[in-house]
Amino acid sequence: MKLLSGEILANKKYGSSLYKLEVFSPYICRNAIPGQFVEVKCSTEDATDPLLRRPFGIYEIDKRFNVFSLLYIVRGKGTAFLSRMEKGQNLDFIGPLGNGLKFDLDDGKKYILIGGGIGIAPLCLAAAHLAEKEKEILFIAGFKDNVFFSWEKDIAKITQNYRIFTEDGSFGEKGLPTSYLAANIKKLNNSIIIACGPSDMLRVIQEILVNAHGFTALSLLEERMACGIGACMGCVIKIKEADGTVVYKKVCSDGPVFNLMEVIFE
Amino acid sequence: MNEVLKNNKGLSLTIGKSLFKNPVFVNSGTFAGGVEYNAFFDISKLGAVTTKSFSLEKKEGNAPPRIWETSSGMLNSIGLQNEGINYFLDTQLCKMKELGADIILSIFGCDTEEFKKIAAKIKTIEKELKAVELNLSCPNVREGGMAFCAAPGQIGPVVSEIKNIIDVPLIVKLSPNFNTIIESAIISKENGADAISIINTITGTAFDIETFKPRLANISGGLSGPAIKPVALFHVYRLAKEKILPVIGMGGISCWQDAVEFLIAGACAIGVGTANFINPVISEKIIEGIAGYMVSMGFSSLDEMVGKAIKES
Repeated sequence: MKLLSGEILANKKYGSSLYKLEVFSPYICRNAIPGQFVEVKCSTEDATDPLLRRPFGIYEIDKRFNVFSLLYIVRGKGTAFLSRMEKGQNLDFIGPLGNGLKFDLDDGKKYILIGGGIGIAPLCLAAAHLAEKEKEILFIAGFKDNVFFSWEKDIAKITQNYRIFTEDGSFGEKGLPTSYLAANIKKLNNSIIIACGPSDMLRVIQEILVNAHGFTALSLLEERMACGIGACMGCVIKIKEADGTVVYKKVCSDGPVFNLMEVIFE
Repeated sequence: MNEVLKNNKGLSLTIGKSLFKNPVFVNSGTFAGGVEYNAFFDISKLGAVTTKSFSLEKKEGNAPPRIWETSSGMLNSIGLQNEGINYFLDTQLCKMKELGADIILSIFGCDTEEFKKIAAKIKTIEKELKAVELNLSCPNVREGGMAFCAAPGQIGPVVSEIKNIIDVPLIVKLSPNFNTIIESAIISKENGADAISIINTITGTAFDIETFKPRLANISGGLSGPAIKPVALFHVYRLAKEKILPVIGMGGISCWQDAVEFLIAGACAIGVGTANFINPVISEKIIEGIAGYMVSMGFSSLDEMVGKAIKES
């Protein structure tokens, strides 16, 4: 991990509040793996509000041009600042952070990536990596509405094997990714599930998998963070370890990848 | 490199019998043991690394969510999560020494007895420490913590008992949440403390206006960051004027100018805390900035600048 500054090559509007930020960084492109994140300073150099850096899962890496990208939704002051940044300006960020996903590509298993809302972002990098290695993948995305409409062209470039669900039916199929998973659980077995999204969604996936066989389930967790490097202990979640002990783990440095079945949602 | 930096003596200071190479320390709980930050800069350049507070036994800390950002500040309710003093002795001390860090060990106990037990454990490695900081001011724990500052009479036995066990300069970290800083500093001095560090975080809270729930599971937390700097600076100024003990000033320091302000307000050294989260190399930049300021102002030693604002006011 390094403290870095990278030139912004584009800050594309993907929808009413969805953006893709492209940043030049040979270091990130060389060193980052799927599931890792960067912590971005979302204010001018000396400004103290917003104060803390914001964590974003890496969305794309293009090694040919040394460009990585972040997909983000404008929600608060930090992302609003980010949306106003322009091509040619420099982004101040720390990364790559967290442990990321390590794949055993010879395991003969297929991968089911389940993303809810902006949780699809780090899963897209995982999908691109797996597709490049010719692994069989199914990408299931769930959104509230059609804010992510323009994102479909990105996932379509990675795989044709994807399903999109929206709660209001305005984009893709009406429904929830978790309902699809529950209905198809038998034919999807012998898979590795990687999920990222709201904790309500992750909890439901966990419930579905408790009684299912033939799955390994990983989750990419999101938490509010301060340092992002494991020093402050601000971003902990509760984990039930294999021997039954319950411990706090740091999402930033112990994760963000955790065995979904060990996460305690409260 | 300027003359003040080249000649380390210009930036050095002593607390008790310990010599510190410069007045820029990092605050307990914001820097872990420094290993993570050494990826960004050489932490042996720091005046001191103050460790996360260690208790006698492992502490799991408070339930999440533990942090919430406020205007130019952050609330935290970590609750002193730590692996226990044996972890420091068996694992962390060695790593910090390898990196060349000058160490201030922060310790925390619920009562005098727990503090005594920790002191007994660190006795064998006391020579490795520049100082021991007694965290008597954490706002996020039910027992001990800032209760010591609510009733400063309890501070005396803790300090004197530890002083009887270990021969290391003692720093007492105090809370701004009660109007007891001066009284606590006097008691600390009478019982053998060598310095006071102020301020620990200011108790605060925040609520979600849609769900009506508190933003922190612990409901309250400690406010830190630039938002608290004027409060911290005032406490440092007011205490330093009394000339009871050397004061290590901390609270919202985010740049070298902030650090200089604390030094001229009477702090003999300063601590960088929340700013480490935003810029992991800020404390190194602050050392350089202070040195540059001293050259431009014609100060050849810290003594010449510390407390300048007290003399002027």
